[in-house]
Amino acid sequence: MNENPADLAPELCVLAAAVAGLVAGMFLPRARQWPAPAACSAGLVAGLAFAGAAAARPGLTAFDAFSVDAITHVTRITVLGSTLAVVLLAAGPVRGHPRESEHHVLILLSALGTIMLGASSDLLVLVAAYLLASVPAYALAGFGKDAPGTEAALKYYLMGALLGVFMLGGVTLLSGVGRGTAYPVLRTGLAGAPPAAVAAGLVALLAGLLFKAGAVPGHYWVPDVTEGAPPAVAAYVTTVPKIGAFAALYRFGAEISPDGWPVLLAVIAAATMTLGNLAAFGQDNVRRLLAYSTVSQAGYLLVPVAMAGRSDLARPALLYFVAAYAVTNLGAFAVVVAAGRDDLAGYAGLLRASPLLGLSLVVCLLGFVGTPPTAVFVGKVLMFGAALDGDHAWLAAVAAVNTVASVFYYLRWIVPLFRRPSGPPPPARGATAIAAAAALLSLALGIAGGAALAA
Amino acid sequence: MTFLPGWPGGLAVDGLSAVLLVTLGTVLAAVLVFAAGEGYGARFFGLMLLFAAAMAVTVTATDLVLLLMGWEVMGAMSWALIGYEWWDARRVRSAGVAFLTTRAADMGLYAAAGFAVAGAHSLRLDDLAAAGAPWRDLIAAGLVVSALGKSAQLPFSFWLSRAMDGPSPVSALLHSATMVAAGAYLLIRVHPLLAATGWAATLAAWAGAVTALVLGAVALAQRDLKQLLAASTCAQIGFMVLGAGTGAPAGGTAHLVAHAAVKSLLFLCAGVWLGVLGTKRLDALQGAARRHRAVGAAFGVGALALAGVPPLSLWVTKDEILAGAGGSPALLVVGFAASVLSAAYAAKALLAAFRPMGGGGVLRVPFAQSAPLVPLAFAAAVLGVLGLPPVADAWRRLLGVPDESGPGPWTVALSGALALLTVGAVMVVRRIPEPAWALHWLWLEDAASAVVVRPAFATARALARFDDRVVDGAVKRVARGGLAVAGLAGRRVEFRVDGLVAAVGRAARALGALARRPQTGQVHLYYAQAAVVLAVLVVVAVLAG
Repeated sequence: MNENPADLAPELCVLAAAVAGLVAGMFLPRARQWPAPAACSAGLVAGLAFAGAAAARPGLTAFDAFSVDAITHVTRITVLGSTLAVVLLAAGPVRGHPRESEHHVLILLSALGTIMLGASSDLLVLVAAYLLASVPAYALAGFGKDAPGTEAALKYYLMGALLGVFMLGGVTLLSGVGRGTAYPVLRTGLAGAPPAAVAAGLVALLAGLLFKAGAVPGHYWVPDVTEGAPPAVAAYVTTVPKIGAFAALYRFGAEISPDGWPVLLAVIAAATMTLGNLAAFGQDNVRRLLAYSTVSQAGYLLVPVAMAGRSDLARPALLYFVAAYAVTNLGAFAVVVAAGRDDLAGYAGLLRASPLLGLSLVVCLLGFVGTPPTAVFVGKVLMFGAALDGDHAWLAAVAAVNTVASVFYYLRWIVPLFRRPSGPPPPARGATAIAAAAALLSLALGIAGGAALAA
Repeated sequence: MTFLPGWPGGLAVDGLSAVLLVTLGTVLAAVLVFAAGEGYGARFFGLMLLFAAAMAVTVTATDLVLLLMGWEVMGAMSWALIGYEWWDARRVRSAGVAFLTTRAADMGLYAAAGFAVAGAHSLRLDDLAAAGAPWRDLIAAGLVVSALGKSAQLPFSFWLSRAMDGPSPVSALLHSATMVAAGAYLLIRVHPLLAATGWAATLAAWAGAVTALVLGAVALAQRDLKQLLAASTCAQIGFMVLGAGTGAPAGGTAHLVAHAAVKSLLFLCAGVWLGVLGTKRLDALQGAARRHRAVGAAFGVGALALAGVPPLSLWVTKDEILAGAGGSPALLVVGFAASVLSAAYAAKALLAAFRPMGGGGVLRVPFAQSAPLVPLAFAAAVLGVLGLPPVADAWRRLLGVPDESGPGPWTVALSGALALLTVGAVMVVRRIPEPAWALHWLWLEDAASAVVVRPAFATARALARFDDRVVDGAVKRVARGGLAVAGLAGRRVEFRVDGLVAAVGRAARALGALARRPQTGQVHLYYAQAAVVLAVLVVVAVLAG
């Protein structure tokens, strides 16, 4: 058994940074808490470095429950990078806040849980990771202590509690009929188990993971939290936990491949993308629009998950798409943070008032549609390839129709950008820089991925 | 001299060209001095010089291309000069008639050039006679048509009548050394070709002879001095064409030169009287010759020469042509008859100008207008030396036809006697038969208008109607049909398609509204929905598993 703690170096860095931030917050004056975000950022950067180094080494399993493989590498790098962006995004709004250091520490702890979620190959660790990823996020949602934030936090918590209970029940059921909690054991154990019990346990387990992924039926919290929570937190909860959830879903599907997995996930994927797109049509609040957009993107992301073990394209599709999604979604939320407006009308003339911000938003929104040469385009191409390769052409067709339909509401946001400016241009330089960086990264990933695909 | 490297044609001066160039230069100088006396502007002299230069190019060209260039420029200049007084609509119309008539005949020259390329593979005038069987005849036909047109021979003569609307100096030049002379020159130049075909020479000879006879009658019928002179020009050029056709090029050339002097002289005299007396009607010119001695004497010399009275120039040169026609008695008879007519119309002009009348002082004529008359009258009188045997031999050698025979003594005597008798008779009788049918130039212009112009316009109108109704109509109908089909598509097809699109949009909106319904914002409903969906998913998983 491999029990080398060095294999968990990135996670330990994050943990150390969180602890350091927490300790620093205890002793620092309220007005001068900048070392806390600095420590958190440093921990994330160190974790990124270790994760990058680990990615070059062959895969292994640590402590019998923690897989260090390609999925974990991508999860680590994406989660750490996204978290770093969120910390930077939040640094401005929470500066001088009484609980500034706690804010960053909560983000880090949640991110740590997310990485664990994506890396665990044992149901018990999965449950622990779920709790670690969720509980700090509930607190973050209500961080503003205002009415919408409190409502959002409560809804988030209640949904998470119910679906987490389902998940615990599912784990109990599966471990009971499968005679174990480790995936390799479950793989053999579930093969001979009663199908109805396995189906019930599977759906119950999925309930928690779908809650984290923001997919049907665990999506109800997404619009309310995205609209009610502070923008940086909204960016976090719609981006980072999903990464771990999809990694966990894919890992479960690929390593255990229970009966009926593709059909079940395909139905969920189709329902999720369709519901998200349709509900986004009439939104005039950009945060709600983005929330439904993330629901529909979750539907697309479930397509390679459904194809886990059926197509060689499924894993690259999921990993590429999830990274591309994280970059694009963070870019869009960074624009919302920078602009400081939630209504569509507030974005009129943004392109003239702040060309960099407007251009970044255009790139991100066109990226959501899947326009070349953005990163999501490559992810979507791989996703379609996986669906066709896995004999689920109908799913590809549904995804294609949904993609066409999604153009409508993304354009609803793009068109006002070209109008006459209505008010003074929003400054928020830090967020603008993050938005521009995300847009550039999206283009770079798209061009590099396109070149790699073509080669 | 050649113009383009590798191009066989160019300009060259041989005996015939030299003679014509000298004639052209002399007449041009006289006419320009005269015109200077009338006070024309720069445009006039520029056009005149271009006109003469085009003639010079025509007579020196060695191939059909350059000849055509000169030929065309000459035609264009004749249009510009006849219509010089452009503010008078009739003159401009006359210029148009003259230009279009000669231009129509010029098509023959273009056709001849094309046939020459096809048949002789050369455009050189020397090579034309060597062309193959059908081509040679076609070339000859084209050349004869264009020459007859340019020289105002039958049936193209009417344009010369209309050309009389131009200024007198223009008439003097156009009737002597340029334009009409160009046709005669062309036939003389290509007489080897005409002779080689066998029929073309005969055709040219008869065309010339008939023109000389008929237009002589037309001249006799005229009551206007310039019209009389114009018809006489046609008749005299007819003699030259006759000479070219009967193998008497030296005689034809001599006649051309002598006639150039005579006719330019007569036109300048007519111009003087027109300028001073304001009329060119024969009955109004009564006694005009007696009112200015120099002009009167010059006119007298010219008219007597035109009549063919010995020993003046045209008497000899005409006889040289008639000597060539000796081979055909019919031609000879026609020729003599034409000679008699020419004596008669010349006598008519003489009679009108010299008839004594009471009153009227001495005319004042500018020196510049009377001075050119003297050398021209001299030339008209003495150019008959070209018929004296030693001079005639040198002349024939110059023109490259040393074998041409001169007129027999009886021919000379007969024609001189006929001329003298006719003039004498006219002077005695003082009444000249005026054939009424010839007064209007045989109604040739009306005939051309009826035969060519009106059918052409009628055809053009018919074709225009065809174009408007059928071709253009088809295009318009296609457009209307397209509009109709588009309208149909817009009402029937577009409606459905548009309706379908709108229905899809409405359905999507309705579904979008429906999709937001579950998002009630109430947690207990979320719970219920999530539980129901999960239950459904369990069923799906059980069924799928």
